[in-house]
Amino acid sequence: MKKQIVAMVLVGGRGSRLGNITKQTAKPAVSFGGKYKLIDFVLSSLSNSSISTVGIITQYEPYELLSYIEHGSTWDLDVNEGGISFLTPYTSANGELWQKGTAHSVYQHLRFVDQYNPDFVLILSGDHVYKMDYNLMINEHIKNKADITISTFKVHDNPSRYGILELNELDQVVSFEEKPIAPKSDLASMGIYVFNTKILHQLLETKEEKIYDFGNDIIPLAIKKELSIFGYRFEGYFRDVGTVESLYQANMDLIDNPHYLKIHDYTDFPILTKSSNLPPHHIVHSKKINSSLISDGCLIYGEIHHSILSSGVLVSDQCIIKDSIIHANVKIGKNCHIENAIIVEDSVILANTVLQFDEITVVDNEYLWKMGEQNE
Amino acid sequence: MNKQMFAIVDATFKENLEQLTLHRMPGALPFSGKYRLIDFTLSNLRNSRIINVAIFPYGNYRSLQDHVGSGKRWDLDRRRDGLFILPPKNLYIPPDEMITFQRLFEHIEFLRRSTQDYAVITGANIVWNIDYNDCLEEHINKNADITEIMYQQIRLKTFIISKKLLLEYIETYDSLEYKTLLDLVEKAPNLNVNIYKHKNYTRTINDTFNYLKSNLDMLRFDIGMTIFREDRPVYSKEKTAPPAKYLNHASIDNSMISSGCIVDGQIHNSMIGRDVIIKKGAIVENSFIMSNCVIEENAHLNYTILDKQTVVKQNTVLEGTLRIPYVSQKEQIISPFNGIRVLLVASESYPFIKTGGLADVIGSLSRNLARQGIDTTVIIPLYKKIRDSFGESLKIEFTKTIIYGEKRYKVSIYGYLYKKVKYYFVDNFDFFDYEGIYGLENDTDRFAFFNKTVVDLLDDLDPYDLIHIHDWHTSLIPILIDNSSHKGVNTLLTIHNIDYQGIAKNEIINKLGIKHFVFKEEHINFLDIGINTATKLSTVSPTYKEELKYEYYGKNLTHSLMRRERDFYGILNGISSSFNPETDKSLKVNYSKETIALKLDNKIYLQEKMSLPQNKNTFVIGMVSRLVEQKGFDLILQVLEDILRDRDIQFVLLGAGDEYYVNEFTKIAERFPNQVKLNIGYDAANPNIIYGGADVFLMPSRFEPCGLGQMIALRYGTLPIVRKTGGLGDTVFKYDPLTEKGNGFTFNNYDSHEMKHVILGAYEIYKHNQLVWNSLIVRAMKSDNSLVKSTQKYIELYKVIKET
Repeated sequence: MKKQIVAMVLVGGRGSRLGNITKQTAKPAVSFGGKYKLIDFVLSSLSNSSISTVGIITQYEPYELLSYIEHGSTWDLDVNEGGISFLTPYTSANGELWQKGTAHSVYQHLRFVDQYNPDFVLILSGDHVYKMDYNLMINEHIKNKADITISTFKVHDNPSRYGILELNELDQVVSFEEKPIAPKSDLASMGIYVFNTKILHQLLETKEEKIYDFGNDIIPLAIKKELSIFGYRFEGYFRDVGTVESLYQANMDLIDNPHYLKIHDYTDFPILTKSSNLPPHHIVHSKKINSSLISDGCLIYGEIHHSILSSGVLVSDQCIIKDSIIHANVKIGKNCHIENAIIVEDSVILANTVLQFDEITVVDNEYLWKMGEQNE
Repeated sequence: MNKQMFAIVDATFKENLEQLTLHRMPGALPFSGKYRLIDFTLSNLRNSRIINVAIFPYGNYRSLQDHVGSGKRWDLDRRRDGLFILPPKNLYIPPDEMITFQRLFEHIEFLRRSTQDYAVITGANIVWNIDYNDCLEEHINKNADITEIMYQQIRLKTFIISKKLLLEYIETYDSLEYKTLLDLVEKAPNLNVNIYKHKNYTRTINDTFNYLKSNLDMLRFDIGMTIFREDRPVYSKEKTAPPAKYLNHASIDNSMISSGCIVDGQIHNSMIGRDVIIKKGAIVENSFIMSNCVIEENAHLNYTILDKQTVVKQNTVLEGTLRIPYVSQKEQIISPFNGIRVLLVASESYPFIKTGGLADVIGSLSRNLARQGIDTTVIIPLYKKIRDSFGESLKIEFTKTIIYGEKRYKVSIYGYLYKKVKYYFVDNFDFFDYEGIYGLENDTDRFAFFNKTVVDLLDDLDPYDLIHIHDWHTSLIPILIDNSSHKGVNTLLTIHNIDYQGIAKNEIINKLGIKHFVFKEEHINFLDIGINTATKLSTVSPTYKEELKYEYYGKNLTHSLMRRERDFYGILNGISSSFNPETDKSLKVNYSKETIALKLDNKIYLQEKMSLPQNKNTFVIGMVSRLVEQKGFDLILQVLEDILRDRDIQFVLLGAGDEYYVNEFTKIAERFPNQVKLNIGYDAANPNIIYGGADVFLMPSRFEPCGLGQMIALRYGTLPIVRKTGGLGDTVFKYDPLTEKGNGFTFNNYDSHEMKHVILGAYEIYKHNQLVWNSLIVRAMKSDNSLVKSTQKYIELYKVIKET
């Protein structure tokens, strides 16, 4: 069954810089903006781009993600031909075991790609915050007769964190450097690539060098081979939320800069997420709620300022929540004061607890238990 | 998986939810922000692990179909069994109180194929959380034939019955005297009926009061937690909206707010649906706001139900009450109320000229509109009778020349201000200067000319927001407006009586100068033209509006009315506050609902006036009616003697009409001189003596668009016995011994034996259960059929027409 495009979504990363947030969950399953998980953004973009043949390559703590995505019906990706396939690491006759990097994981699952005989393979990551119509990029790829197209965004802070691309006036890639000390431009790779299927095969099956990673290995190799590589200039909002700080900032952008993602203006390009099947939230007698996002099933008695609450959160009487992100099903007892915190799912905060921080701090049950022990 | 039970979801009956159910069935009504009413029933079925479910819908079930889809949300998309939507095959069966055996017979295959032994039959409009397995267990333990599930004193139209027994009833529906399970439980002998009492919060959504109340009930924690339980969750169609967003000026207490909302205003004690925008300075109190509404700056809402996509403009104030909430219509744009100018056009209006109920309606509606601040004008023809009695106080305000056919006619327009209502009378020697009003050879010409004059007169008057026309006599006004410089002015045609339609020769269209008219037949039909050209239509009760969609009632106009279904409203007339037993001078003794014992003195007075034996214990049946076939006199003649024979019953009839009926009743009166008295001729005696003195008031009409007699009887505590049709069905609710509810007695079929059965049933209660009887009188007197209420409904409809 022939498909023009097959998308491969890499969701293996642990996201170790997110600390306790990803202690028990893969980074793409991390909660975002109250109702969402990071994976929603890539799946919704695929759905809105009408690309419905999707391989999801998993590795680290895949259970939560698997049970969340299921058949993909939330994103209308449960189609008869194609749809969502979970690609897990496996042992083969030649003893390949663990995925050694992004490119290596795609290499392991080339057979999945081949069964659809696609013209193009779209490589995506499961942990970015953005809304993108991939067809625009693919159309440019076709127009440019490119072998590879790399999506780029303009970096505003510290380009050394990213893979930096240098483009010429035709948008052809002149150079590429992973995390350069002296960046040659402010255009960074988003880790989103369109490959001609044949080229992808050639590059991944190269015997002469170790091929593990797209950024570190494949792209430099392609440049060396003088393949036709183009950059696609993505103009929209894009965040790689690799650190606690950047995750917090991207969340708060929903409140402070509503024009970035436009989540409340969503009829054309909705971010789809699995419904929690909870009743609307109930604000019992809080008179002070401002600049905040609140999800279904919350029960609120206290004050909420400039914060984001996921579903099923209890905020008791006399609490003050400020500049914080509260994940799902967190219960907060009476008279707590919380400021600059990210409270991880299912945490229980006893009455009269004060969690005021100068910089953003992740709090989970373990943290709370330790705090309790110290107080005793 | 439940191998014992399958389910029938009854969505066949239509409740009085006004414009909310114009576009959807009650089951598809939004509830508690993100749910639809039917979610509760489907989730209860799912949580009872029932997997074989048939929904029997009525009317427009698109939004229901859209919502339930394949039933996946409730685990009902299955290979075997699953969800079935079984539409009506016979569109001519009017809806009943609940699903009939006849309607079930249409899909008897579904029942035959079901492998489960028991059926649960339930409605789509109940808010509750119940495990049907508990009901089945009790049903089996008590060895019941049928189990009815009730909450407190409320019948929930929910039953458990074995498939075998249910099939028996369905297969023999045409020979049974019960039409529904409700009937069966009430009447069937030798049936082991078990009542299962459900204990947790339950409310059936059958009017706007219950709808708003139950939504607001969800804000009470003790109630909400019995409905939204973790062990038996309520499932709804999956939709995606971002979390609700609060801006800097938001202030909220005790409210539930759904996803996608953007709130910068104040919300108190309200339920807010998805994607609602509430702007700075806006105040929303005690309201249910459905999805995608916008409440603009400084608007103030109290006790309102806003249908989807309603926009409330800046500074608008909307104020309802819990009993009578303000209800918007889908996509309505509501601006601050800065007055509406309304023109009523009719053939008669009280107190100037009256031949029937129409004059009363026009007279009282116009007066009440003016009282509520609406700038109101009425135009009627100047008949000779009006000139004779009012001529001296009328002043000529305009003179016009009207071209009709080949001729030019001189018309004088007289003006008069009556109780804040501006009246204009159209005077023309050729057409109106007769003794009679109707029944002249050239009636159609006369009223066509009247219509033409009214439209020409619009040139001279300040513009109106709306022209409210009545019956065939004014039905050509919309098409004349379309052919004039006033094209675009909104019209509302109210149908009081569909029997008179104004059939005329085609040449009238040419005489009126209407161009490009497509003639369908050799004759034109005024009312049909009106129905097809007016902006909106209404009739005088919600039930009659539904009935008109069936040929038995709607006759030759059924097709046109069906075509206009979405612009068609039913608004019940009301009665004036001057009908009041506490102040009525024509009564012997005044009384109120606190002093109903005094009513008996009026019975003695009535008997005395009618020269009947005086006995306060005698059961007195009263009637005030025209003696015509429509009013059900054939039924009465068939069984009256049976009813009277050897019983302590008296029958008093006041009215005038067909000679045949007069003669027949005279014969009976001669045979039963101590029990039957006729008072023939409309003005023969004051009807209020009957309203005050009788025990019951009989109205077995074959059809009854609205009916005022039963409303007056209710107010005087005289219990109505009526056939459940038209306005009778909207005002009289039968006494139900199971629930101790109701304000009268009703029967369904136009059948003399059914009527007799109900009359004798009432007689039995009167004779043997005075306590129940007195409570019925009190409930009857509490019924609210006031003009204020009906005028309010008209004003709301005027606003809808003006704003959409």
